[in-house]
Amino acid sequence: MDQLLPVEIVEAGHAFPQALFACADLDALLRLKGAYVGRDGSHAAQLMELLKAAPKEQKRELGAAINALKQQWEEGLKGRQLELEAAKKRLASQADRWDPTLPPPMPAQGALHPLNRLMDRLVDVFRPLGFHVEEGPEVETEAHNFDGLNIPEDHPAKASSDTFYLAAHPELLLRTHTSPVQVRTLLRVAPELGKRGGIRFLAPGRVYRKDEIDPTHSPMFHQVEGMLVGHGIGMQHLKGTLDYALRALFGPETEIRLRPSYFPFVEPGCEVDVSCPLCGAKGCRVCKGSGWVEILGAGLIHPNVLKYAGIDPAEWSGWAFGMGVERMAMMLSQTPDLRLFFENDQRFLRAMGGLD
Amino acid sequence: MWIERKGLAQEIPAVAALETRQLSELLASLGFPVDGVASREGGDVLDVDITANRGDAMSHRGMARELAARLQQPLASMVPPTVVDGPPVVEVRLESPACPVYSTAILQLGSGVTPAEVQSFLLALEATPKRLPAVDASNDLLHRYGHPTHAFDADRIRGTVSVRWAQAGETLVTLDGVERKLVEQDLVIADESGPIALAGVMGGDRTKVTEATTRVLLESAWFEPKPVKATARRHSLHTDASHRFGRGADPCLAMVARDLLVGRLQAWCQATLVGAWTAGAVPATAKSVPLTGALLARIAGEPLPLAEAAEALRRLGCATDLDGGTLQVTPPSWRHDLAIPEDFAEEVLRLRGYEHIPSVLPPLEGPPEPLSPAYLQRQRLARRLSQLGFHQTVTYGFISPEADAAFAAAENGAEGRALANPLGQEYSVMRGSLLPSLQAMAHQNLRQGAREVRLFELAPVYHSGPAGPVERFRLGMVWGGTLGGEDYLSPARAVREADLMGVAKDLGWEGVPPLRALGEGLFGFELPIERLPREGSRVIPAFQPFSRFPSVERDLSLLVDLGQSHEALTSAMRAALPVDVLQDLRCVDVFRHKSLPEGRQAWLMRLRFQAGRTLVGEEVDGWVSAALAAAESLGARLRA
Ligand SMILES: [Zn+2]
Repeated sequence: MDQLLPVEIVEAGHAFPQALFACADLDALLRLKGAYVGRDGSHAAQLMELLKAAPKEQKRELGAAINALKQQWEEGLKGRQLELEAAKKRLASQADRWDPTLPPPMPAQGALHPLNRLMDRLVDVFRPLGFHVEEGPEVETEAHNFDGLNIPEDHPAKASSDTFYLAAHPELLLRTHTSPVQVRTLLRVAPELGKRGGIRFLAPGRVYRKDEIDPTHSPMFHQVEGMLVGHGIGMQHLKGTLDYALRALFGPETEIRLRPSYFPFVEPGCEVDVSCPLCGAKGCRVCKGSGWVEILGAGLIHPNVLKYAGIDPAEWSGWAFGMGVERMAMMLSQTPDLRLFFENDQRFLRAMGGLD
Repeated sequence: MWIERKGLAQEIPAVAALETRQLSELLASLGFPVDGVASREGGDVLDVDITANRGDAMSHRGMARELAARLQQPLASMVPPTVVDGPPVVEVRLESPACPVYSTAILQLGSGVTPAEVQSFLLALEATPKRLPAVDASNDLLHRYGHPTHAFDADRIRGTVSVRWAQAGETLVTLDGVERKLVEQDLVIADESGPIALAGVMGGDRTKVTEATTRVLLESAWFEPKPVKATARRHSLHTDASHRFGRGADPCLAMVARDLLVGRLQAWCQATLVGAWTAGAVPATAKSVPLTGALLARIAGEPLPLAEAAEALRRLGCATDLDGGTLQVTPPSWRHDLAIPEDFAEEVLRLRGYEHIPSVLPPLEGPPEPLSPAYLQRQRLARRLSQLGFHQTVTYGFISPEADAAFAAAENGAEGRALANPLGQEYSVMRGSLLPSLQAMAHQNLRQGAREVRLFELAPVYHSGPAGPVERFRLGMVWGGTLGGEDYLSPARAVREADLMGVAKDLGWEGVPPLRALGEGLFGFELPIERLPREGSRVIPAFQPFSRFPSVERDLSLLVDLGQSHEALTSAMRAALPVDVLQDLRCVDVFRHKSLPEGRQAWLMRLRFQAGRTLVGEEVDGWVSAALAAAESLGARLRA
């Protein structure tokens, strides 16, 4: 049979499956289609010419051969076209598909400072007990910072080696604790104390002491002061409030312990320990194996502090506490260096501050 | 303060049976926490923390008294040898009431050295023995009984000894070899040629006991705490003696300590007593203080029988007299910290143990107070800014004068805000602006490789005033670096001033915030918080009607001058439009390109109309034409 056909067409017929497979897209397939079965100049067209010119006796046999060949080509092309169309559709659908594992555009991520977060948390803990927030200036008078707090005139904290003073105003200093807010607040509310039924407040804020900067010291740090004045207030009320507050802060399993101590503005005075929140009081590096960590100083307001503010200690009594915010933050977070809180590296702030 | 277990057990034998850990817990529960335990000279030595009010506890005997009262166990008896006062060998004159009693003796020293066990006791306390019996005996007494004494070389003292205030200009070389310039507020021991000791603080070099000393003059006195503290501070000379006299030593111990000292020297180095005498007298003891059952019950949280309180106070050395509902209490001569009824109530509770105090929530006597609007405003601002991607910073309130001068307002002079005793020049001025600190923190973050830095701080700044610096809370923020470019949808671009404008608007700032360029691609501003909106007092704002009809949006592409103000253009266009239908008018795109006529730019202005009805195309066309005409009056042209 092949001997009836021109050599090049026979070769093209042999090459067809290969050529068909080589068509990677519909355009290439269209070109192949043109070359084999197109209207003009294609192999099929040439064969039709050949058939026309063939002697009569050959026409039937030749026609059948040509038809078989054409049919083979057309079927091949049709099949490949379906394949390529399906592949194209598949690609198109993939192009539209979203890959959820690609990094998405992120809303900007900021953070509250961990020290502010901790102070906010303390306010949250005390709010249900009716405490509000009182604030006072950082530049204070000696009277508010020391005298009103029953701190003796010759107390070493007053020395210029311990406390920062203003050059142009020798009677002004940078408050060394948040306790002057007690003095200011008591002076303000003294005339209306009976009408308002006592007072209870927190005073969070920044304080200054003349310490060189090192991993455990900073000339500026934060304290939260708490104070309550009412009728018949005793140590049991201090203990009750701290029991509640420190459990709210550290968890319901928390135990507290009061130890006698001394601060000039309270009498009796105490240090307050909590069962170590890091090891569950089993003993660890933080609590030095004791199961307890010191968390704050407190006591009943010294009668002289009430008297200074014009409040009669025979009628009114109260308690006060003060805690170091950095100290607590470092203990809870195990931050190794106090300076990190003031370096304000965004990586530290993001990791420590969260969004509340 | 170091407390040797062995030495303590010599004062209260019952503690010998306790483990060191039990002893530490016991001391902590009495108000004397143990900071550490060392092992020295074959035994445990406790580092006990003693609060500033308890000078009486600064000795082994003092600690033992506390333990004896708590444990209800006896103290070892203290038996000084009998030394009979005779006529003065040398005249001792007390010229200041700050020294009411001065007990002394002269001894002829024999041969002999400080006993080994005393040397070991001193070594355990990190008090170096001098191997001179007179010095070591004085030191031993101080640590054991808490009473500071001193021994002078009697042959180096000239004439009469007096306790007096120093005269201005006098000097004294103290035992540490330092020459001290004295002032009239320094109490000194002096002989006829001048001061020989700073009273209650340190002896002088000229009269010190040496190996060559053969006769000693003892000093066992009592000094008022105040001048001792002042002198110690003035000369930066904080000694074992000044700590104890400064916090209040026991005046009744002056003679006892002299006798103990005499006894030790007689026993250790065969000293012979030449004479003993005392100048002045022990000052009268403290007055009694009334403690009522009501006060005790209020402080303790439960009624406690006064008889029980009296018993506890007696164990602490107080004299008590129960008179009906009131207990009259007189503190012992060594307790200078007990002065008011509350002090005695504390003692009763302390001895009982604070663990017995009940736990009660205080009753609310009045309505709680809300949080102040200013405080809430700062909380809200901080939360909003952190949600907007900013990081809250905390920086020191003092900065360098140079950094301050670059940002503080011109009328806010730094002199009124300067510290007298700063840590250093870089921390010497209370800042007039938050921006220097924020700028430094931003640069630090960028140096550390941050792509973008967004910081804010809410803190007071200081303004010099006639009565001192006035503080006002400010909000400072800085933003810089590269935005976006970290995912496949957000193109990277530099932070621009307009980004900060957007934040200021978001916070409710009206108008243009005072923007500052703070370096390459870094911008910041500082706002007075009181000028930012506060939450209103209404629970819910008043209802504002809004239209449910569809709005119509039209864009106008205008060619405007490069110097055209957006504010001026939009207000001109607004003026040409009915107020009740114009919902919004703004430039939504700026196009600047050399293909545009020189000096011109293209603004795409978007107008949005809405009314309480469906708008008709023609009326909107009319408004757009009017707006265009208004723009054209400012030189704008419709872009082809
Ligand atoms: Zn622990």
